[in-house]
Amino acid sequence: MTLLQAQLARDISAEGRPPHENDPIVAPEQTLSSMTSQICAPPLERTWPLWWKLSLAAALVFVFILVVAIGWLFYAGVGIWGIDWPVVWGFAILNYVWWIAIASGGTFISALFYLAEVEWRSALNRLAETITIFAAACAAIYPILHLGRPWLFYWLFPYPNVMGVWPQFRSPLLWDFVAILTYVVSSILFWYYGLVPDLATMRDKAGAQDKRRFYGVFALGFRGSQNAWRYYRIGYGLLAAAMAPLVISVHSIVGLDFAGAATVGWHSTEFPPFFVFGALLSGFATVMLLAIPVRRLLRLEDFITGRHFDILGKLLLTSSLCVGYAYLMEAFTVFYGPDAAEKRLFIDKLTGELAPVYWATILFNVVAPQSMWRRSVRLNETLVVLISLFVIVGMWCERYVIVVMSLRRTHLPSAWGGYTPTIWDWLTLFGTVGLFIAGLLIAIRLLPVISMFEMREVILRNARPEK
Amino acid sequence: MPPVKPQWRSLEELAQDAQFLSRVEQEFPGLVASISAPRDRRQALALMAASLALAGVGLGGCNGAPEGRLIPAVRSPPGIVPGTPDYYSSAHVEGGYAAGTVIKHFMGRPIKVEGNPFHPASLGATSPMAQAELLNFYDPRRSWGVTRANLPQSRSALEQALAEQRARLATTGGAGFVILTGASTSPTLAAQLDALRKSYPQIRWLHWEPIGRENVEKGFALAYGARLELKLQIQNADVILAIDSDLLSAAPGHLNFAREFASRRNPTRAKMNRLYAIEATPSLIAAVADERFIAGPQDSHRVLRALAGALLDAEPVEGPPWLDRIVSDLKANRGRAFIHLGPDHPPEAHALVCAMNEALGGRGTVYTLLEAATHASSDDSLSLSALIPDMRADRISSLLIIDSNPVYAAPGALDFAEALRQVDFSLCLSATPNETTDASLWAVPMAHPWEGWSDARAFDGTATVMQPQALPLYQGLEPHDLLGLLLRPDPPKSLDLIRETWRVPLGAKDAWIDALANGVVPDSIGPVSNRPLSNAVARIRPPEPPSATPVLLFRPDPYLLDGRYADNPWLQELPRPLTKISWGNPLQISPKRAREMLLHDGDVVRIAVDGAHTKAPIIIAPGQSDDCIVALLGFGRSHAGPVGQNIGVDFFKLMGRSCCAPDVQKTNAREELASTQHHANMFDEQGVYARSGALAQFLADPNFARRNEEPQPSFYEWKPQGPAAWGMSIDLNACIGCKACVVACQAENNIPVVGKEEILREREMYWLRIDRYYDGPPESPKVSFQPVLCMHCEEAPCEPVCPVGATLHDAEGLNVMVYNRCVGTRFCSNNCPYKVRRFNYFDFAGEERRAIESRNPDVTVRARGVMEKCTFCLQRIAAARIVADREGEKASAVTTACEAACPTRAFTFGDLAEKGSEVAARRAGPLSYALLADQNTKPRVTYEARVLNVDEPKETKK
Repeated sequence: MTLLQAQLARDISAEGRPPHENDPIVAPEQTLSSMTSQICAPPLERTWPLWWKLSLAAALVFVFILVVAIGWLFYAGVGIWGIDWPVVWGFAILNYVWWIAIASGGTFISALFYLAEVEWRSALNRLAETITIFAAACAAIYPILHLGRPWLFYWLFPYPNVMGVWPQFRSPLLWDFVAILTYVVSSILFWYYGLVPDLATMRDKAGAQDKRRFYGVFALGFRGSQNAWRYYRIGYGLLAAAMAPLVISVHSIVGLDFAGAATVGWHSTEFPPFFVFGALLSGFATVMLLAIPVRRLLRLEDFITGRHFDILGKLLLTSSLCVGYAYLMEAFTVFYGPDAAEKRLFIDKLTGELAPVYWATILFNVVAPQSMWRRSVRLNETLVVLISLFVIVGMWCERYVIVVMSLRRTHLPSAWGGYTPTIWDWLTLFGTVGLFIAGLLIAIRLLPVISMFEMREVILRNARPEK
Repeated sequence: MPPVKPQWRSLEELAQDAQFLSRVEQEFPGLVASISAPRDRRQALALMAASLALAGVGLGGCNGAPEGRLIPAVRSPPGIVPGTPDYYSSAHVEGGYAAGTVIKHFMGRPIKVEGNPFHPASLGATSPMAQAELLNFYDPRRSWGVTRANLPQSRSALEQALAEQRARLATTGGAGFVILTGASTSPTLAAQLDALRKSYPQIRWLHWEPIGRENVEKGFALAYGARLELKLQIQNADVILAIDSDLLSAAPGHLNFAREFASRRNPTRAKMNRLYAIEATPSLIAAVADERFIAGPQDSHRVLRALAGALLDAEPVEGPPWLDRIVSDLKANRGRAFIHLGPDHPPEAHALVCAMNEALGGRGTVYTLLEAATHASSDDSLSLSALIPDMRADRISSLLIIDSNPVYAAPGALDFAEALRQVDFSLCLSATPNETTDASLWAVPMAHPWEGWSDARAFDGTATVMQPQALPLYQGLEPHDLLGLLLRPDPPKSLDLIRETWRVPLGAKDAWIDALANGVVPDSIGPVSNRPLSNAVARIRPPEPPSATPVLLFRPDPYLLDGRYADNPWLQELPRPLTKISWGNPLQISPKRAREMLLHDGDVVRIAVDGAHTKAPIIIAPGQSDDCIVALLGFGRSHAGPVGQNIGVDFFKLMGRSCCAPDVQKTNAREELASTQHHANMFDEQGVYARSGALAQFLADPNFARRNEEPQPSFYEWKPQGPAAWGMSIDLNACIGCKACVVACQAENNIPVVGKEEILREREMYWLRIDRYYDGPPESPKVSFQPVLCMHCEEAPCEPVCPVGATLHDAEGLNVMVYNRCVGTRFCSNNCPYKVRRFNYFDFAGEERRAIESRNPDVTVRARGVMEKCTFCLQRIAAARIVADREGEKASAVTTACEAACPTRAFTFGDLAEKGSEVAARRAGPLSYALLADQNTKPRVTYEARVLNVDEPKETKK
């Protein structure tokens, strides 16, 4: 019997336990050592079950497709996509915004709730941060692919050169480039920094020499001394304090990519907060969506409990209400303002040929999450998966409305056009989904899926009745 | 990748043609492999497929490396200063009539066609076709060897065959020998033909045009008893009635008429004339008319008879209710009124209109009659339909076809190809292989008009001596040489023939040089005819048009004409003015009829006329009469190059059938129409963009087109700095939508052709487009044209959004693109309210495979992934700056390519900062307004709103 199987057998009581409203934040039977051995066990396992291998294989197929699609793109040019005149931005920008919004959930849960000293966060922050870095990586690919001459992307960077040419600092794209770069780099740092004590645990737990080396190198010699912990805590707090505003700024700047343009449908001051709301909604939805299979497959019922479902559901509902408010305000400002082209566009959104996309956005992002008002829905795994999926698709539709539908209807009716994505647009989108899933699968295979050092505090705190 | 399009079947044919390959292989062993290798995507644009290779053959010298010692050019050829262009006069000949051109050369290679301001049929302007002639000249598909029965032959074999023909001509006296050629005004060609008749009295020739003007010619002959030509002074006309007219688009001298007509359209500068248009299918003249009335063939027949009743002493006929107003307007302006009838009406109708014009008293002021400039066929009774029975009955043993393509363009009912097979000796002289060279026994490559000497007359008889523009690229034979070879084995050179023709006026060396330099022979205008009208004309009754409806009307495509330009990618891609369709000729159907038949744009119908049938997509043509269906000719070439082959539908084969009511059946098929304007036809607020008003409105308030549009404060305020402030004013009163400017821009700025597939994907590359707006009901809408190019906004929204600063302002207010710096984020295009920026989604310029020599060396050829747009012809401004710097002055006289080509002077470009400049004056005029002024972009391009000479804005009548 392998360690993992033994582990599972021991926790047979937890198997398939559905979330319940009276669940504590962590199962009371969990002790420090049982938790540590349960979380450490899977990464140290020699072989993993079939579901993991199959899903990784499937994800790798899509990664391969992505590589082919990018190769062909570089060879043939962005003309292989459906972008045209006047819709010069298409899937690349749309998918970029979609992914970067998905990435927001991790940062928000990890950093903001850390600062707020929320203890339920500890069960989810590792998973959420992992989602963040892979989603941000997927997002970061797109702006480069999007360029007509992608090999010159570094020209956006203010690097010293003999020509003395600098980028143009008035352009929102430059702000965006900087914001994304900062966000991706600091997300990775934050994620890795949070991993260090757990990597040290893994190093100590690993029996085999190779694994000890592997974890040992990445644990950076963390020994758990009092001093190390003290500095570690300060560092972590500082990073969290830096990350929390970053999640707001990056999505505001993504919003400014659009609001900074004088384009019909984009030129609106509400875009920065609107994009933050949208990012939170899709971030929470993604965390919820992925927490459910991870909880089931890795037997984490003791740690990700009904409480977590309840809280995530409420967060989803809140951000959905915010997004709904933004949709309302969008309609209000359009009709309150004087611009005829804006009104024309909005009516086209409501009634034009692409109106189903707009209504799908409303349905998926605002209407469907309203069911979360009921606790029973928040605790029902099937419904939660369904609603999270709705939201993720709905957010994609929203970006379709923003990017494609707006560009189709410009000021001059003579320049109106259409947009039809090609097979390469779709393959690139699915390819990044594959990349994201593959990344996630490899991460849960190699790393502890729950932040053990923080979970220990939760267990200790819950063990003390006076707390 | 989308599947391969049919047009590259021809390439494969070309590649698999053993004859061709073996010939190429002899000279370029490596080339064969590359030609026969399978090609990828967008073959329509691999167009010029064998292109560079073959162009290389022509330019590099056909005979391989020359022998002997080579001497480098230490001294450059006389007259060529490296790096500076030269200009040589020439003429663009269409339907026999010349319009003067000036060809711009760079290091001895023609690169651009400009109009000749000294020439009456050009006045400095050009037609789109004249501009596009450049690509025909460099067409790699041009014939380059003699063939007999489609097998290569030596030149001596041809000479042998012609010697036999000479012997035969001598014995038969020319009986059974026919020369078929297009309409011609060339005095030298006429002299040669007359000389042939002197030697061989029974020889016959036919000047035949697929889309001819014989109705007009016969009408004049009926009315005056002589071959006469109309010379209009349309600027003297106060009231013009145009019935199915092509006055501004195709009639000989149309550039001149357009200029003169437009000179009286802007009420701030001249007293307005008034134009009424009556027509069956929408045309350019109706788009610019003050009032337009729809009349199918039956109706226009009634209109003509009613007009005759009202203006002549003919029996009174009740016309449509709106006609009375026109008649009284015409009568009130007696002496300054004119009626123009289109060439599709029968000769009797033309004779009747001649009589009406005489009655209106405009002769001498509004129009004069000149002796015809065109050369007559050998006898009046000769026509293509008369020729064919002779061919079938073996009465014609030899047929010489010079620069004509009757196998394609003869009416299908005549079955010319079948008749041609009965002729023993047929020879076709043609610049490119076509349907007729394929069907003829001998096919002889013709020299391009730019490769030899010739002459031609304009609509008013003004003659031009056309000089060669380059050394021949291919071994073509000039028509003059071929005719000469019928007389003797060593005919005089064409230059000698031309000099002989013009010995009297241009005998002196200076006179000859001046004539070549100016592009006109002085005082060569045709003699004015004082012939009186025949008495009986007023009583002529035009024949009843067919009573069946709908009638199938055939009209030439505005750019491909009779198909002769089908191989020209610029003209294939140029969106048609009203339908905005490129790469195709859908059948035009009126909105009502389409509704009845449940047809939508792109639905394929099966159309059958008297046994012949074809399938074609349809397009709904707003403003077309319900009584007709319109087929555009010139498409569907079965033996053309990769550009024109099987693009569109050949409607010639439905022509010439006795029964005129076509049977139209909807099929289940659909075809995507490549259109460059996608918005719904009707649009509420078009008046905001292309503004117009009635003359009465203008008189009441000259500033009616201006709205409260003063510039607002701006965050990034930009102050004009430089010595000049370049700007443009576009007069919407003048624009007739002909698109000469668009092709001129394309030629000047190396703008690539993208092909049908990419047009379907909305990726056209035009820097300058002519927007078309309709308003009013679809049955009879008002049409507005609006040229849109980069506005060079002072507060350009494209500039702050570019992250790398690839688009920015120069000191003189030009919004410039730094192609090298562009990384292709395309944000500038999003932020451009006018959407004038174009993106190279693929390597369009590279895939075009156009002869490098034909490009403008002063303009960068843009790479893949780079944004581009109108530069206000920066290269021309730069050239002017250089000249000005040398002379210590400020550059001011700059003419952009669009401005130069425009027949109506709709564009005025210049320095806004210069006091008294025309552009500054126009910009300050009362009609001037900025497009989308509410965007606060402060554009350097402004428009002058259109004023219609009507009492109040009215919709067109039915």
